[in-house]
Amino acid sequence: MKKFLNWFRQSRMDGELDRELQYHFERRVGDLVSQGMGEGEARGQVNREMGGLTQVREEVRDVWLTRWLRDFVYDLRHSARDFVRNPTFTATVVLSLALGIGATTALYSLVDQVFLHSLPVRDAQRLVLFDWTGERVYGGFGSYNILPYPWCADLKQQERYFEGVFCRAALTVHLATGANASPAAAEIVSGSYFPVLGVLPAMGRLIGESDEGLTGASPIVVVSHEFWQVELGGAQDVVGRKLMVNGKPMTIAGVAAEGFRGIDVGEVPKLWIPSAMASYALPPAMPNDVTRERTVRWVQILGRLREGVRLEEAQAALRPWFRRMLEEDTKLANFPKITAERRERFLASQMELSPAPQGHSRMHRTMTQPLWMLFGATGVLLALACLNVAGLFLARGFSRGREIQTRFALGASRGRIARQLFADSTLLALAGGLLGIALAPLVIEGLIAFLPQNAAGTALRSAVDARLLSFAFGVSLVTGLLAGFAPALQAGRGAALASMRERGGSGGGGMRLRRGIVTAQIALTLVLLIGAALFARSLGELLAKGPGFETASLVAFGIDPQKSGYSKDAANRMIAGLQEKLGGVPGVSAGGMATYALLNGGSWNNPMTIQGKTRFTTEGVAHLNAVSPGFFAVLGARIVAGRDFEDRDRRAGGESRQKVAVVNEAFAKKYLAGQNPLGVLVGVGSGTNVRPDFQVVGVVSDVRYRSMREDSEQVYFPVTEDSYFLGANFYLKVRGNPEAVVAGVRQLIREADPAMPPTYFRTLEEQVKRSLSMERMLATLTAGFAVLALLLSLVGLYGVMSYSVTQRTKEIGIRMALGATRGSAVWMVLRDALVMIAAGIAIALPFVWGLGKYVEAQLYAVKATDPLTIGAATLVLCSAAALAAIVPARDASAVDPGEALRGD
Amino acid sequence: MPSSRFPIPQGTLDMLVLQILSLEPAHGYGIAQRLEQISNSVVQVNQGSLYPALHRLEEKGWVKAKWQPSETGREAKFYALTAAGRKQLEAERESWAKLTSAVQLIFDEGGSR
Repeated sequence: MKKFLNWFRQSRMDGELDRELQYHFERRVGDLVSQGMGEGEARGQVNREMGGLTQVREEVRDVWLTRWLRDFVYDLRHSARDFVRNPTFTATVVLSLALGIGATTALYSLVDQVFLHSLPVRDAQRLVLFDWTGERVYGGFGSYNILPYPWCADLKQQERYFEGVFCRAALTVHLATGANASPAAAEIVSGSYFPVLGVLPAMGRLIGESDEGLTGASPIVVVSHEFWQVELGGAQDVVGRKLMVNGKPMTIAGVAAEGFRGIDVGEVPKLWIPSAMASYALPPAMPNDVTRERTVRWVQILGRLREGVRLEEAQAALRPWFRRMLEEDTKLANFPKITAERRERFLASQMELSPAPQGHSRMHRTMTQPLWMLFGATGVLLALACLNVAGLFLARGFSRGREIQTRFALGASRGRIARQLFADSTLLALAGGLLGIALAPLVIEGLIAFLPQNAAGTALRSAVDARLLSFAFGVSLVTGLLAGFAPALQAGRGAALASMRERGGSGGGGMRLRRGIVTAQIALTLVLLIGAALFARSLGELLAKGPGFETASLVAFGIDPQKSGYSKDAANRMIAGLQEKLGGVPGVSAGGMATYALLNGGSWNNPMTIQGKTRFTTEGVAHLNAVSPGFFAVLGARIVAGRDFEDRDRRAGGESRQKVAVVNEAFAKKYLAGQNPLGVLVGVGSGTNVRPDFQVVGVVSDVRYRSMREDSEQVYFPVTEDSYFLGANFYLKVRGNPEAVVAGVRQLIREADPAMPPTYFRTLEEQVKRSLSMERMLATLTAGFAVLALLLSLVGLYGVMSYSVTQRTKEIGIRMALGATRGSAVWMVLRDALVMIAAGIAIALPFVWGLGKYVEAQLYAVKATDPLTIGAATLVLCSAAALAAIVPARDASAVDPGEALRGD
Repeated sequence: MPSSRFPIPQGTLDMLVLQILSLEPAHGYGIAQRLEQISNSVVQVNQGSLYPALHRLEEKGWVKAKWQPSETGREAKFYALTAAGRKQLEAERESWAKLTSAVQLIFDEGGSR
């Protein structure tokens, strides 16, 4: 604070003080020397007498500072009284600032939580994430940066560069503390996870190196502090208790330290499972001992750089080891059969390091761009609010011109008056900031609700912490200073002008500044408007295209029997039984089933080998699913050629029976063009050993599988007794109220097995909505920001225009008296507005051009430079602006020449 | 003899400075010298604390400062009493007199017992 205030101190005063003290010092030294003292001794004595020059200087400065503060407090009181007298002005300013500051603070909170805040672990700055780029031949489970588990131990050997290396995989398990199980987020971790992160137990012990390698023989878990407190009641005897994880008993070995919430801000685990017990939690399709499997990717690997080691250095040092390891891998018995060319690319692939002080989160990837964009938008909104306040201050400054002139005349310095104006704006900005902070938690909660992930499963908070407070305070202060800057500048300059110019002149420097402000506002608003229009169009296109199936009266739910400890046979019986009974639930008219759920972001995907006229493998992956007969009919997807699956296809490829597949139109178009798709043989995988033995028996219309945005090539297989075990997603066509049906089905599942909860339960309309939550968030928020921006700048425009009309009343009167028409008076005023609008547009368009590439990835079926959208947004701006300008223009036409000339 | 000199009581420095300036305008060093002389080396003034006092008085408008050539020919900052400062000096002198006589009275009573 002191530093900030010192900034205001004039250096002239400092210089004078130095001269004054120097004079004293030298006179005294001179006197002492003339009394016979040696020069050096004299200097020492004078220094002692004066108590050190620096000390004196500081004390005098304190005197100045006290005065400054006293005066500033006086100014603040003066401002406060003034504001109470002008409630409309005050409310307008405080509200616009609160809006800007509240929105910016809320977005900053999310930006901070999602990708600025470091993990609350020891020295998070040295954490790095390992990633594999290039031809990653191995398949796997999980998403983003997944690597084989044994690499973790290999990397640990690189002790010169890393203090430690650990790996982890995030997944969902069914967790039961009593009779009823529910889905819970969990992390499978290596023994080095807790030691490398530096996390300590709150109770009992954590997973350690001793748990490593005990495949299947170490059924322990560590629970989070929050889980212990909330769901285990904070009991002191939890260590040693048993939990049911995916239907298997596991013993609680300890509780992790309070405040540690895993390394993924988007998915906070309730428990940690040692990698030795991975098979308890991973899907059954995974190999038995994944911790030794070199050709299956399923963990993220992170490390801690040794002190002083640079990331690039470590990355370069890993190169020889990595290349050697890949070469070794190709000699493995289970190394995929691939072409020589692919093998070359495989061997040329690289290990890359990236800083990971925030841990690893899928949310980082999906949210970074949208959040920065929205943060930028709020920044623009704040700038607009700031400009508006500056404009209002300018207007008020002029209406207070007389007061300011009087104070000048009474000898107030320019700095003194500028400080008064600064005090005004600081006070208002802080008031706006306080209101903004009060609003922020509400806004943050709203934002979190918009987020694609389930808010309950994330660590995102709406609480305002010290960090956020200081951000908002800083923003308020800067806003205040900026908004006060223009009027202060004007006060400094205007004084001389004002005293010399006669009243009723046609607007001087102040008007020019205000016109500049309005032009800037129009430019900023147009940028936001165009952004909003682009996102709205993207969302509109996505909604118009739809998911490719009927969402009305469709309800979906999933079960995962394996996670409830079911064996393969038991799972088959359970699902078959459920399928039978579902038809009997009142209100269910038809049902279908798929192994993988639609529109939840994931899919089973793989390159395909196709045997048509020739044999070839697909370039990209096809998205695969196993579905029951009638699944397509329930969705309302059309069979455009061939047939749907039938009951007889269900038997898992018996000796004589032909295995069958259905492909979608996109697949047929891309890979089977120019031949009859029916009868073509396909196989999963791209290896040279893949046997294409599924015969295409049908072509189905396109439906969206992974997400609403993605048009993908798809291949469907019939569900078989093998696939049941992977879980099942049921799609039910219902008559009447879906709620009643949901209740009935829930009851049915509970009766079948209370320990097997449905993994989700929602209507397809909800599912589509969830799938589009990011697009919806962008469209809604940017539209909201754009409307606010439009309002702010129209208020600014209106203010300037009406002020200009009052200023020019006399001029207009004279012109009319000389025979000008009312129309020309209107035109004179409108022309003024048009110049500002045109200048604003001219400034904005190059920005739109430049910013386009940053938003392109979030758009759908529309380019960032789409002329139609830009034109429409510009039109909206122009018509709104014209509306705001027409009122003052009409006032101009209503000027009575006689009245105006008599006026003064 | 520093040990025989007592430090100047809090708040009286301002008054002494005003008193000195009431005779004629002076610069900081001149005031310091006169303080030494007047107080007959009985009162110990840290010469450094003179300057915060001068600036304080200037803030309050009791003295005003001007740069002008000093007796040595060099420019020095001269302080002079303002009308307000003269009034303030009168007021302080009065209250000081009241205070000292009151204190004296108390000591006299104590001594007569």
